[in-house]
Amino acid sequence: MGATEIEMKALDDRIGRWATERHLPDAHLRRWLVLADDDRSALLELAETLRLRTGQFVAAFELIDEIALRERAADAPVEVTITTILARREIRRILDGTGSAPGRARELIETLRAIRFPRLKRAADRLAAEIAALGLPGGVKVILPKELSSDEVRIEILAHGGTDLARLIDAVAQARVGLGRIADLVGGADSIDDEI
Amino acid sequence: MKFELDAINIEEGVRTSALARRVIGAAPPEVAVSYVADGRQAARPIEGAADAFGAGKRRMVIMRRRAPFLMACPAGSSEFACCGYLVLTLASNCPMDCGYCFLQEYLADNPGFQVYANYADAFDELERLRRTAPARQLRVGTGELADSLAFDSLTGISRDLVEYFAGRDDLTLELKTKTDEIENLLAIDPKGRTLVSWTLSPERVYRSTEHRTAAPAARLEAARRVLAAGYRVAFHLDPIIGYAGAERDYLDLIEQLFAAIAPEQIAFVSMGGLRMTPALRAAARRRFPDDPMLVGEEVLGPDGRYRTFTPLRLKLYKALGDRIRQSNAKMQTYLCMESASVHQQVFGEAASRPTVLGARLAGD
Repeated sequence: MGATEIEMKALDDRIGRWATERHLPDAHLRRWLVLADDDRSALLELAETLRLRTGQFVAAFELIDEIALRERAADAPVEVTITTILARREIRRILDGTGSAPGRARELIETLRAIRFPRLKRAADRLAAEIAALGLPGGVKVILPKELSSDEVRIEILAHGGTDLARLIDAVAQARVGLGRIADLVGGADSIDDEI
Repeated sequence: MKFELDAINIEEGVRTSALARRVIGAAPPEVAVSYVADGRQAARPIEGAADAFGAGKRRMVIMRRRAPFLMACPAGSSEFACCGYLVLTLASNCPMDCGYCFLQEYLADNPGFQVYANYADAFDELERLRRTAPARQLRVGTGELADSLAFDSLTGISRDLVEYFAGRDDLTLELKTKTDEIENLLAIDPKGRTLVSWTLSPERVYRSTEHRTAAPAARLEAARRVLAAGYRVAFHLDPIIGYAGAERDYLDLIEQLFAAIAPEQIAFVSMGGLRMTPALRAAARRRFPDDPMLVGEEVLGPDGRYRTFTPLRLKLYKALGDRIRQSNAKMQTYLCMESASVHQQVFGEAASRPTVLGARLAGD
């Protein structure tokens, strides 16, 4: 057995131990072990550094896998692999960061989702900016559907007493045009063209 | 187009049926024919097969259908604005293999390609329905759990169907297909009662995802030929997949459609976005792990299905709907498996009741 083979055997043993400790389902372990050497190693570094929980690891693995597939299909100018995705600046910043491991793990998933769903991210950012620009008082919330998964927009008013309620209703009425625009954007209005 | 079969299993009880005789007579000699006591068992997944669903597509099971043939469209639901479609299940599964197909989940437990030898019993069910709904225009299709025309060169079922519907002014038959297998149709006069519809997708979706189907251009050519033979034609832009560049590709597709078929000759166009339950998505990703069309920007919606996130999906619908209406403001256009509120946002008007829309699509 050559030096490289011994190293790879050691790597696979570490992956096996991590999977056993975290009760990683066999299907995911099998997918992990058939990856290229660099990719297997990069995923293990991710799992160990951020002390990922099993669910977080499975989510990250799936997101990375789908990012690679999407970018390869889009004729990426360079080869896209798990290793190259995890080497990107925004991911390295999280891996090399100094915050708590659970906090960085959550940030990793959010960052991967932003890469995996780029147009959704831009649309959500645009809507958040539109809502902020309305300058609504603290007792009024504009609640968008989770992940923009429906066309439903809710306005929540939280008031304490009649005077407060009247003030908040007036604020909503004054923002009527802007709120209508937000509802139109959620409903696929043309003006969101550039963003998605 | 020609599809391949590994085997034909014929249930003993229908050994002498007209359908079994036709299929045996037309099947290639290298396809093994065997007889089984119960077709339901033969349609079960092959144990240990790496892709039992895919293997089922290559195993035709000719059998008696035990359940009713006629039912309301299984996609219908009170949460959606529906089109009043009625479904005749004359076969189950399909020799084509689209990556997004819901049959991957729906037929996971009985993937054998079943064709029902007692299909003429469906005509009795239709007669009973006509008696309970006199003067109502009904649109009845066979393309829900199977492609209406795939293997028609073997089964010849379309001939009996078209002839039955040709004699009933209150019924419209919709044959829904992704094939160009129309030769049987060209020999019969439908007397205006049969509509042939094609699912259309841009070339990129066809190449990536719609395995063993006819190319989009071949589907349009087939549509042109059946139109000339006296059939009505319709088209389904379904599923619309929201990949980068989709709007341009789908608009180009509509241009190709209108270049092939004049808009005023098209009975209707439906639209529907890609939708997948989590189980379907998992099955599709397992079977087609390298298909980028299955990893678009779909999110889990309130109805428990993954769909393209709403602003993008509705933007696509609006762009395509506007283009269709520019070509012919009177063309019937509807959305499949979308809510009444989405219908309102896209078309700027409330959705019609299913019976009303159904009658309009039937040509009333």
